[in-house]
Amino acid sequence: MSSYKTQIRQLRKQDTDQLLSVITRFSVHFALIFFSLCCLVPLLLIVSASFTDETTLTRQGYSLIPSEFSARAYELIFRNPNAILRAYAVSIFTTVVGTIVSLTVMSLLAYALSRPEFALRKPLSFFVFFTMLFNGGIVPYYILMTQYLRVQDTIFALLLPYMVVVYYVLILRTYFAALPPELIDAARVDGAGEWRIFFSIALPLAKPALATIGLFMALNYWNDWTTALYFIRDSDLYPLQYLLYIIQSNAQAMQIQSAVGNIAAGEIPTQTARMAMAVLATGPAAVFFLFFQRYLVRGVTVGAFK
Amino acid sequence: MFTRFFKPKLVQGMFALAIALTFTLSWSPHSVLAQDDLSNLPRLVYIYPGSPQADLEIVQQAMSEYMAERIGATIELRPLDWGVYNDQISLINASGEKYDIAFTAPWINNYYTNITQEYFIPLDELLTEYAPNYWASMTPETWDAARVGDHIYGAINQQIFVKPFGPYIRTEILEAIGLTEEFAALTSYEDLEPILVAVQEYVDQDETLTQVTYNLAQLLVAENWGYDPIVSDLVIDTSNPEPTVLIYSETEAYRNAADIIRRWYLAGYAPADPAVWAEMDAAWTAGLYPVRVADIVKPGGNAEVEARWGWPVTSTAIAEPVLTTAGVIATLNGVSYTSEHPELAVGFLELLNSDPVFYNMLSKGLEGVHWEWADEEAKLIRPANGAESFADTGYNPNTDWMFGNVFNAYYTDPTQVGAWPETAELNHQARPSPILGFTFDGSQVETELASVSAVLQEFGNPLGSGLVDVDEGIARFQTALLDAGIERIQAEAQRQIDEWRANNS
Repeated sequence: MSSYKTQIRQLRKQDTDQLLSVITRFSVHFALIFFSLCCLVPLLLIVSASFTDETTLTRQGYSLIPSEFSARAYELIFRNPNAILRAYAVSIFTTVVGTIVSLTVMSLLAYALSRPEFALRKPLSFFVFFTMLFNGGIVPYYILMTQYLRVQDTIFALLLPYMVVVYYVLILRTYFAALPPELIDAARVDGAGEWRIFFSIALPLAKPALATIGLFMALNYWNDWTTALYFIRDSDLYPLQYLLYIIQSNAQAMQIQSAVGNIAAGEIPTQTARMAMAVLATGPAAVFFLFFQRYLVRGVTVGAFK
Repeated sequence: MFTRFFKPKLVQGMFALAIALTFTLSWSPHSVLAQDDLSNLPRLVYIYPGSPQADLEIVQQAMSEYMAERIGATIELRPLDWGVYNDQISLINASGEKYDIAFTAPWINNYYTNITQEYFIPLDELLTEYAPNYWASMTPETWDAARVGDHIYGAINQQIFVKPFGPYIRTEILEAIGLTEEFAALTSYEDLEPILVAVQEYVDQDETLTQVTYNLAQLLVAENWGYDPIVSDLVIDTSNPEPTVLIYSETEAYRNAADIIRRWYLAGYAPADPAVWAEMDAAWTAGLYPVRVADIVKPGGNAEVEARWGWPVTSTAIAEPVLTTAGVIATLNGVSYTSEHPELAVGFLELLNSDPVFYNMLSKGLEGVHWEWADEEAKLIRPANGAESFADTGYNPNTDWMFGNVFNAYYTDPTQVGAWPETAELNHQARPSPILGFTFDGSQVETELASVSAVLQEFGNPLGSGLVDVDEGIARFQTALLDAGIERIQAEAQRQIDEWRANNS
């Protein structure tokens, strides 16, 4: 009898638990769906606007489904696709090369800083971390790059500024410092030189850290447009983000011009053309990063279980 | 996967490849044009806003050859993209990077900032000595507009200096309502009202049109009513030879303009929810509105508007043209403090402003390559080699007003022919503002200027769109202006004007 009652109570408790969990799950899902919609709808609006007829867009405003389909904006752009294709090439090149080279430089530096027996550890650390707290500001930076290094209007101007990001060196150094010193001693006993120890032992063990920082660096390089703003005047070397920035800000500058009044402005890219540019520029990149990110996240977790 | 990725040899290999690729990319061929005798001459650098032009180097080469014979220097054209011009030129100035000439104006690469930072050199003596024709092409009063303190720092580009405001209407609609003569005879904005009523009837029947007009706020622009704006909401009445600084919103003209705007807004001629500039321009292009109530009406301007917005328009100037400082110095070229050859830089400006052949090389490109004569007598050109438009020729900066005297520009549209003498006449006939040449220095009242500018946005804009009752709106606007300290700016402006007049009489 009592066991029957307990059973019933348990069943009821199960029911309420189940109900609660359904509600929780539902509300969590609802919140997440709402959040993803907030992220996705603006993107969809841009895609839809880029496929809308210009006049219809002005008349009826933005809608999720193009009220009057038109691919004219894309036709306009693909009449002269060079700018976009070149910008893609520059962006991909700086991202790939920049990430690889900067990872190499930073891990070499961080590894040296992590080894207690390195004689210049203290002064070098000070030298590196001092720049994190104090810097000369934009004008000395500009003078250094253009008048001493003379890298303006070359691809180096896009690569050099991010070669060493002190914060990431700090992370890598901590990671290298956590490696057991016995491991390095053992390697040395087995006859390995410093280079071999670094490449065959320290680096493979630091894979998770390298993967994470590699991702950060790739994003840094991909999203960077300010460096190009300062140092690139040659339109053949515009990276993608900067090209987009230029298109957008040119349109704004033209409007200021026409607002000034007695000046005839040049041609302003139409709304739909601007949207189409945005789609062409971010679309493939978004897909690319979706895969890239998954790949790297897997790398991080694989590393963590070892 | 990752172990393989980080094999030492592979990393080294990739590193080497990266460096190799980097060199290849950075050494992408840049055509070397300069011939030996040209490369021995001093090379001037001219920086200005503009979009990249495919044939820039050909034009640069031709200009250099032309210049070499006349002033013994060559030119490097360095257009910077419009949207980043301000950022890049201020870095160039601050870092002391060498260049000779840069485009400047109160609205881009700020002329006054450049002067206070001493980025530009005084040009007075250089102009009289090395640019005699250019100097003589404008009256000393006109040149005074560019004078700041004791010196002229900017070379004025001659173009339309006055702002004769008036309404624009799409020609086909004007013809459809049959009021062409009435429109051409307009002398005041009040007289425009019956035409708007007729347009409204037309709009009601034509479903491609949404409303009569959209830019009501332009009616509040002080130049419409013969006032010369000094700063923020302060103006002087140009018909009064004794310049007294007035608060614009306290004038009869302002109230009158606000009344008209409110009346037309209530009549439903303009959108209930006014949009931003960019959207309104797009709306005009899309053909939603047939009338622009007030805009600058200039000779040959209808063709420009049609080229830009795609609708044939008719316009009539209503406002009496007044020559103001702001109008004269709307476009300038300055010479940098880093210039090693300021006399050659001014010589270059002399050529640009007095030699039509040279000027049109920069603004239109090369004959036979980018343009050809349609009618040499009338100075009318067309795109070269059967190209459909100038934009397809490889060189079309489309900014004549940036480079020099636009009255030397070749006409590109048959309806424009004769517009330059007409414009020059308009400038010449215009009544000079009693404070022509005066520039306000706001450094003493910066706080007040900032608060007043916020007040203008908050209380001035609703009046400009007709959203609020006029009496109530102006009363609140004025209280807010007084609270923001407009009287201190007014007193400062009056003091500076009195001082300026004492020095210039």
